[in-house]
Amino acid sequence: MRELELFFGPQHLGMVGNFSITLSVEGDKILKATSDPGFLHRGFEKLMECRTWMQNFPLVCRINVVEPDHMEMVYAMAVEKLAGIEVPERAHWVRSIYLELARIASHLFGLWAYSNMLGFDTAAQWAMYHRDLILDLFEELTGGRVYHIYIWPGGVRRDFPEGFTDKIVKTLHSIGKSVPDYNDTFFKNPLFYERTRNIGKVTREEAEKWGGVGQVLRATGKPFDIRKVEPYAAYDKVDFNIPTREEGDAYSRIMVIRDEMIESVHLIFKLIEGLPKGKVYNKVPNPFKWKIKEGESYVRVESSRGELGLYLVSDGGDKPYRAHFRTPSYSHGLTVLEKVLEGANISDVGNIMISMYVCAPEIDR
Amino acid sequence: MNKKNLIDGLKLTFADIRVNKDEDELMKIYAKKEQVKTILRYLKDNGYDHLALVSCVDWINEGEFGLIYILTSYADNNEAYKETGDVYLKTRISRRKPETESVIENFENAEPYEREIHELFGVDFIGHPRLIPLFLDRNYEVPPFRKNFDTRKYVKDFFESIPAVSEEKT
Repeated sequence: MRELELFFGPQHLGMVGNFSITLSVEGDKILKATSDPGFLHRGFEKLMECRTWMQNFPLVCRINVVEPDHMEMVYAMAVEKLAGIEVPERAHWVRSIYLELARIASHLFGLWAYSNMLGFDTAAQWAMYHRDLILDLFEELTGGRVYHIYIWPGGVRRDFPEGFTDKIVKTLHSIGKSVPDYNDTFFKNPLFYERTRNIGKVTREEAEKWGGVGQVLRATGKPFDIRKVEPYAAYDKVDFNIPTREEGDAYSRIMVIRDEMIESVHLIFKLIEGLPKGKVYNKVPNPFKWKIKEGESYVRVESSRGELGLYLVSDGGDKPYRAHFRTPSYSHGLTVLEKVLEGANISDVGNIMISMYVCAPEIDR
Repeated sequence: MNKKNLIDGLKLTFADIRVNKDEDELMKIYAKKEQVKTILRYLKDNGYDHLALVSCVDWINEGEFGLIYILTSYADNNEAYKETGDVYLKTRISRRKPETESVIENFENAEPYEREIHELFGVDFIGHPRLIPLFLDRNYEVPPFRKNFDTRKYVKDFFESIPAVSEEKT
């Protein structure tokens, strides 16, 4: 049979985001896959070298469109570590609640992409609607729906308004009521099971060898989560589970995402219960004249896709000397995906890619 | 194995390396570029099995590129890792002839990182199977993430030379 070259994306129905995969195919079997993420290069890391420490906040949150909040968090943490700024206790808890809300919003967006791609349009529309309810909360809290710039060095920009925690609980309850509906239409649907079982299988050894984190690793039975490995914010003060599955295929990855959403909701309830009183912001020096002493730091958080890190270098000036984001999709999209696609079927390319939660803007910073 | 054993073992196995010994500081290993591959192998065998990041910093005043490999661990019961935290392996290479050995043999996920550094800083990785472009679609005289790349001049030269649509028609 003749070997053909097939361009999957960036303009393709099965493709979500600005990403392309060049496939060598024989019949409908893939012989070789080459990822090409370069459709979005904005040079954020270079641009950050020309902006002051505070001016960079509107930039970093735009790196990943789907979950800007973890980007803010990781940058704020890196700046705090370099400058030695303390964060008040309440701010840690507020940050955790906020980040968990962001995780649910991001997972719902991912659920939309995945179910939409597989043709389960009803569940996709629900997910989009429920994400909107969380965005309403963000709008009330920060003024922005998608980009919030809420977390700053030294704490958060403002405290929760009055009655806000009740609103969070109410919203989450109303989303939680739909979980059985989601199960019936999507997660426990036999069609979905048939479509994703044994697709894009990764063993634990392979996942570790290829630098897998997040769902890719947790779907193979390994409870690797930065919130437990290297706790930040208030995650070491409350107890929570890390959902895992054993099979390592697309189905188990999606089920891990589902369980994570439910676990995040429980986690938010626990955090709201224990929310301490106090101030939420420690004053930082004048942002126009703020110079940070020489040094380097690598900090990491668990974003909704896995380990998100930032390597930040200061040369003692008022701007970062070098910033380098370690994003979870980077290894997943460029290493794991290429290896897993070898030998797979053309019809499963989008399926495998989205089940690994590859998000192109994150790769091409 | 704990932190002290690890540091002693490293010093015993490799000559001329410097290990940061401060108690609560980060663990940084400074090595020559020829040693990087074997040190990574050594650390991988001792439980540091997750290469989180390979990064490059342009120290233009010193005429050098700083390469940094950040290693963490997947294991839950890694005693040394609990003490040391992330390990930074650092090396410097000359800016005049920026080349070093690829570490893909040790960590497969280093492949895109090395490709990126090759593209954005112009560092050659010997033994890398495909140093093809990753993000950029034009050729640059100076690789764009180097400090001597003049962004303003580039924007001026590149975009101002494109005529406006109305001018083009007439």
